[in-house]
Amino acid sequence: MTSRRRRATAVTLTAVGWLLAMGTASAHGGSLAAGSRESLTIPTWLFLSTGGAAVGASFLLASFVTDRVFIERIHDWGTPLSGGVRPAVWLGRAVGLVGFAAVIGLGFFGPTTPQTNLAILLVWVGWWAGLAMTTYLLGNTWRVLNPLSTIALVLPSLDRDYPTQLGAWPSVVGLLALVWLEVVSPLADEPRLLATAVLGYSVVTLTGAVVFGRETWFDEADPVERVFRYYGRVAPIGRGADGRLRLRLPGMDLSTPRLVDGRDEVAFVVALLWATTYDGLVTTPAFRDLTTPLVDAGLPAHLLYPVVLAAGFALFLGVYRLAVRSSRRTAETYLSPAELAERFAPPLLAIAAGYHFAHYLGYFLVLAPALGLALLSPLSDPGAVPIYEPPAWFGGVGIAAVIVGHLVAIWVAHAAAYDLFPARMQAIRSQYPFIAVMVFYTMTSLWVVTRPEVPLPHL
Amino acid sequence: MTDHDYDRFEDAPAFECHYCGRPFAREEWLALHRGLDHPAQLDDDEVAAFRAAHEAEEDALGNFRLQALGALVLVYFFLLMIYALV
Repeated sequence: MTSRRRRATAVTLTAVGWLLAMGTASAHGGSLAAGSRESLTIPTWLFLSTGGAAVGASFLLASFVTDRVFIERIHDWGTPLSGGVRPAVWLGRAVGLVGFAAVIGLGFFGPTTPQTNLAILLVWVGWWAGLAMTTYLLGNTWRVLNPLSTIALVLPSLDRDYPTQLGAWPSVVGLLALVWLEVVSPLADEPRLLATAVLGYSVVTLTGAVVFGRETWFDEADPVERVFRYYGRVAPIGRGADGRLRLRLPGMDLSTPRLVDGRDEVAFVVALLWATTYDGLVTTPAFRDLTTPLVDAGLPAHLLYPVVLAAGFALFLGVYRLAVRSSRRTAETYLSPAELAERFAPPLLAIAAGYHFAHYLGYFLVLAPALGLALLSPLSDPGAVPIYEPPAWFGGVGIAAVIVGHLVAIWVAHAAAYDLFPARMQAIRSQYPFIAVMVFYTMTSLWVVTRPEVPLPHL
Repeated sequence: MTDHDYDRFEDAPAFECHYCGRPFAREEWLALHRGLDHPAQLDDDEVAAFRAAHEAEEDALGNFRLQALGALVLVYFFLLMIYALV
């Protein structure tokens, strides 16, 4: 326990020290690693096996709960929420539009220091850290706040038929492209570049919304909308089958059948998980050493990053598909692989949310005062920026978040398996491959966190 | 429960539910399925089959719990030993 506490302290100190030393608001959005690299007091293999064992042990513990009625009661628990939502929707839309205008305006014409520029702070601290956290902790408000969706309301629509075979694939590609852009370009350091990127993204999105219709575009093809929608399914407040707001236990919505529909949506869930690993991975010494021969042999560095991004995604997806196949065998079921893949992908969202929280809570708290100051005086460029220093026990919160994410994921998968299979031993056996996959994902991510951080190689 | 997709070879052994057509690899699983998903429609034989399958399942679960507990204890002490040594 002492070593864990020492490690937790190390996490916090490194995070704070890193931010102070760099003196910048930059961090890779989506990574577990940025700012929280640490030196371990135990050997890496032991750290990794402990993480893997924790996941395995949680599965064994969950498998002790075999009462179907109890599981169903937990999952169906909830109360409908009422309230006048209409004014709140208009207010939310207005807030979203003001924020959007601020990002564009101050991105182009505000101060150029990243820590005092409201566009940078609003996008990375307020939106990608803060709003995303409220999305899986409370509920998805991005659907209302999304300024592009609001703007698309007043735009005409050509209502062309959206090619159904495309499904969610544009959003998968879009998510990977955004992650790539965020990793290789200084989007968190240069306000002008950020504003240009936001503008470019808006043009693409609004064009899509005009051509295919607003609902279709944001439901199917927009990656950001989908990220928030999926995170929102982890949250306790969500919409029930009847479309009304409903309070549930956190994460329980993930066990609903048909939540993820089709292999394209499964791919998106896996891409979200892979994205959190990728941008930590590219700053590890191992990545630098492995890719140096490739670059020396003539592979252009600009190609290297997208190739690794695509290859890693294919690996993660391949491992997941392998788990689905082998789950069909261990459970001896005749259900189609597609059906199993769809039912057991949503629990991975809880893991992704746990990693996001572990990484961004500290980042958010440290920079929240800077965001507050920039909100109050967006045009001034003060020399000293206030920074919150989290207490020493704070690193433990991140570790706890990762563990809670896994516990929720394992429980939800357990419940989905009970819903799917008549025999309870069959349900338990169906989970063996998925637990192995979770252990693989966890150990990969933990390994990345323990590597020292080096500057992006070859760029 | 008729909205499932199935994927099986023609020659694989299958016990199909005559209420919803869902195939199972084992007869006990079919009995359990009938009891869980079509409880109101069963005849006496099917109820008896469900009871028997349910009892057999309880036994299997009991065994599994013991093994799982054993595995947990092993993992715990194994890690404890390693942490003591490292």
